Amino acid sequence: MISAGIDIGSRTIKLVLHDGADIISSEVRPNSYNAIDICREMLKDVSYDGIVSTGYGRHLFSRHFNCEAISEIKAFTLGAFHTIPDCRTILDIGGQDTKAISIDEKGKISKFEMNDKCAAGTGKFLEIMANALEFTMDEFIESASSAEKGEPINSMCTVFAESEVISLIGRGALRDEVSLGIHHAIVKRSVSLMKRVSIRDSIVFVGGVANNRCVRSLIEKDLGTKVSVPENPQIIGALGCALHKFKTAADSI
Amino acid sequence: MNKIVNPEPLFNDEFVGEPPAKRVLGHVQAKREQGAAVAGIYCGYAPMELIHAMNIVPAVLCAFSNAQIEAAEEHLPANLCPLIKSSYGFVIRDTCPFYAVSDVVIAETTCDGKKKMFELMSHIRPLYVMDLPQVPEEKEAREEWKSMILKVQSFMEKHTGKNTTEEKIEASIKDTNRKNALMRKIFGFAAMQPPVVSWAELYDVIFIAMAAKGEEINPRLEDIIVKLEKRVESGYFHGDLKSPRVMVTGCPVGGDALKIFKIVEEMGGVVVALDSCTGMKAFMDDISEDTGDPVGAIAERYLRIPCSCMTPNSRRLTTMDKIIENFKPDAVVDFVLHACHSYNIESYKVGEHVKNKHNIPFLKVVTDYSDGDVEQIKTRVQALFESI
Ligand code: SF4
Ligand code: SF4
Repeated sequence: MISAGIDIGSRTIKLVLHDGADIISSEVRPNSYNAIDICREMLKDVSYDGIVSTGYGRHLFSRHFNCEAISEIKAFTLGAFHTIPDCRTILDIGGQDTKAISIDEKGKISKFEMNDKCAAGTGKFLEIMANALEFTMDEFIESASSAEKGEPINSMCTVFAESEVISLIGRGALRDEVSLGIHHAIVKRSVSLMKRVSIRDSIVFVGGVANNRCVRSLIEKDLGTKVSVPENPQIIGALGCALHKFKTAADSI
Repeated sequence: MNKIVNPEPLFNDEFVGEPPAKRVLGHVQAKREQGAAVAGIYCGYAPMELIHAMNIVPAVLCAFSNAQIEAAEEHLPANLCPLIKSSYGFVIRDTCPFYAVSDVVIAETTCDGKKKMFELMSHIRPLYVMDLPQVPEEKEAREEWKSMILKVQSFMEKHTGKNTTEEKIEASIKDTNRKNALMRKIFGFAAMQPPVVSWAELYDVIFIAMAAKGEEINPRLEDIIVKLEKRVESGYFHGDLKSPRVMVTGCPVGGDALKIFKIVEEMGGVVVALDSCTGMKAFMDDISEDTGDPVGAIAERYLRIPCSCMTPNSRRLTTMDKIIENFKPDAVVDFVLHACHSYNIESYKVGEHVKNKHNIPFLKVVTDYSDGDVEQIKTRVQALFESI
């Protein structure tokens, strides 16, 4: 049996095909206003026996494709626990959400926290700040990694932080130090979210922002412990969906 | 077993299908035409038995619409509880029909936001702020609150020309106790497994039972009980046999805040216990009868309300224990309105208690009256259900 998992996030759509032993293929595409059309496009040339959706478009997808939809919390837990079985704490920073999940030895969720409804501390926040500094995302990460110290950013509200950044630059602050300051701000917020679910090793960092090596190393520095990032951290939710399909299929036999 | 759909509705009056406030407005207007005065109230601490005994009809003032908030924010800070902002918006825009017919307004020093908001509206209608003792366990609290009840009595006498006697107040206490007993019987149908009544139906019944005296509403409550018993006999139940049973506790829920109940249902759950001031709270306790000191007995009962404005409010946890025991929820959602510090802080205690003592998954939801966070709340509620 081949099962598919699809994660319809605010910025990207992730698809994973799994044969029960390995990931056969995966794909990440930018999302837009017409999520369902993009999903159809992605699924056009692949074959699978069953599909499960997650992400904020999961209910829309499940209505169109008549399939099960699971929460991102569950999807990321399944995916992360499968990839790194000794994982106890999961941090997921996506385009519009940040989540911290603590799980037990069996992979069962013991507690989870999500950011409030605004973009503070999410991938979108980093994107807007990079824009404000007229950087591409890669340049932005490069710039932050090269700085010795960070300018403190006090506001976590995306709108206020953007004006704070602009006025810092206006006052002659170094662009690299502002970049690092922004990274500090998002890390501070993510760590406090993780502390609310209680942090235990090993810590797995997933979601699109896990590809940002500066965020990752700052989290490690802050916690004083290693943080694992799976090879393709963005597809962990979609992977969790595909794995869930196997579970339910096994239950119904 | 086939599921029976469309059971007989609990009400069969002209207000079926309308928001429950319409039915209450009809009641208030009818009482007014018969000569009753009207007291607008904002909170569970308003002494209902005294109000009823004075031939005054209590009208719970509107506080749950997002549409009123923009106007309120012209005077109030944006970072304030939506319940306060909405209440104020209704008053300054003159859009609350209950406020429009109120002769007096009764207020309490519960949370800071409300207290200061009352100052801004006190010139519009005669308003009395009852000074609520906030450490109810102190031995002086009872006398203090009793004297406040007597003071609000004089205030109402002065502004409405109505008065009462100790006998009438005692009769009013007994009237409330009879009504509460019937209400608890109705709640019992939500405690059943599976429940035979929905949150929306309970909400309708609670709305009218809050404003009406027992003698006015009890026949209808009895009628509702008969209908619910028939549902049980017919095998009807609400929701799905697998639906997680949810207790929603915390800040008052109404109007646009009902989104929390709707989300719980949309995610496949059933709300079986409504633990707030617009829910079951007012009906869960009785007032001592024939004490020779009816006002003192009322004071005692109201000081037992487990509101987060009180400290240490340990009664919140003991009341929850009883509710959990009776209603057997599979999950507890703590509903906290944005910027409500007292419920928000207390949520930590509540969450630890629910998890440690009852081993039930717990979720705190902090939100306002807008619908911008509906999708995120859905994700959390779904994850809560997945963790059962
Ligand atoms: S929660 Fe407290 S302040 Fe709010 S209505 Fe109830 S008793 Fe009053
Ligand atoms: S919900 Fe909280 S902040 Fe709002 S009026 Fe009630 S006690 Fe005050």
